[in-house]
Amino acid sequence: MKQKEFLSTVLPFKDKLYRLAKRLLVSSDEAEDAVQEIFLKLWNGKEKIGKYKNPEAFAMTMTKNYCLDRLKSKQAGNMKIVHSNFQNSENVEKQVEANDGVTHVFQIMETLPEQQRMILQLRDVEQYEYAEIAEMLDLNETAIRVALSRARKAIREEMIKKYNYGIS
Amino acid sequence: MESARIERLLDAYFEGNTTLAEEATLRDYFTNGEVAAHLEPMKPMFEGFVKAKEEVSATEIALPRSGSKINPWWYSIAATFLVAVTVGSIVFSNSGLSKEEEEALAALKQTREAMMMLSSNLNKGTENVAYLNEFTKGTSTIRHIEQFTETKNKILK
Repeated sequence: MKQKEFLSTVLPFKDKLYRLAKRLLVSSDEAEDAVQEIFLKLWNGKEKIGKYKNPEAFAMTMTKNYCLDRLKSKQAGNMKIVHSNFQNSENVEKQVEANDGVTHVFQIMETLPEQQRMILQLRDVEQYEYAEIAEMLDLNETAIRVALSRARKAIREEMIKKYNYGIS
Repeated sequence: MESARIERLLDAYFEGNTTLAEEATLRDYFTNGEVAAHLEPMKPMFEGFVKAKEEVSATEIALPRSGSKINPWWYSIAATFLVAVTVGSIVFSNSGLSKEEEEALAALKQTREAMMMLSSNLNKGTENVAYLNEFTKGTSTIRHIEQFTETKNKILK
């Protein structure tokens, strides 16, 4: 597979990989690194990528695994403090560009468990079919619906709390 | 009414029972146009999803230039070829030099042959000189003979 052909297969979902990575890693720098890393891995295994009937789902799975590994090693390396510091500075940036309600939604999403975050990202942001998400995350559709329902309800609850607080 | 339909969709949405098309309807409702007051708290959620999809990766993908994997097999072939060419060229350039050398050698051989011929002739010459000595001996003997004939003639007279 030539570089050109490879890029034309892989570039259309570059931003989707990035957004999934960012949803999980929070920091946009780390998400960019993740994308670069995934693309290198895909490039090294480029002979295989032609054999997958859905390279996009395959790349998403790789991204998921990569990010979860990163988060795990970060926890093991006791980087929590650095991480939350970063989160704060990111949020300051966000507040400048987005309105308050949307910022709040992002903040709530960051507090969700990783699996719910991923499913919410893939369904409500990227609008994948359940079957596709099932393939990417190696879960059955029922489990996905359950996790998605929980994630959506968690956001709703937090938003209503904030909304009522804002009213009163 | 519109909001009744939206409420029904929302309920299904939070249970995880909406299709992609229905979710698109919800997104549309909450992000474009009027939202019923009691549904207002849900607005940022859908706005957030739309916003989240606008994020774009800024880095250019840098792939290794040389097509990443040239088979090591090709490297060894290339290396062998290079060595062969180098050695070959050295050998070839040596044989090219020896052309002159060959001429020089041939010239040397010729010269040596010429010298050998000369020296053998010279030897022949010295042999001849030896014969010459013999000759002088001979002539001296002849002189003795002359002496002899003189005395013999004297006796015969």
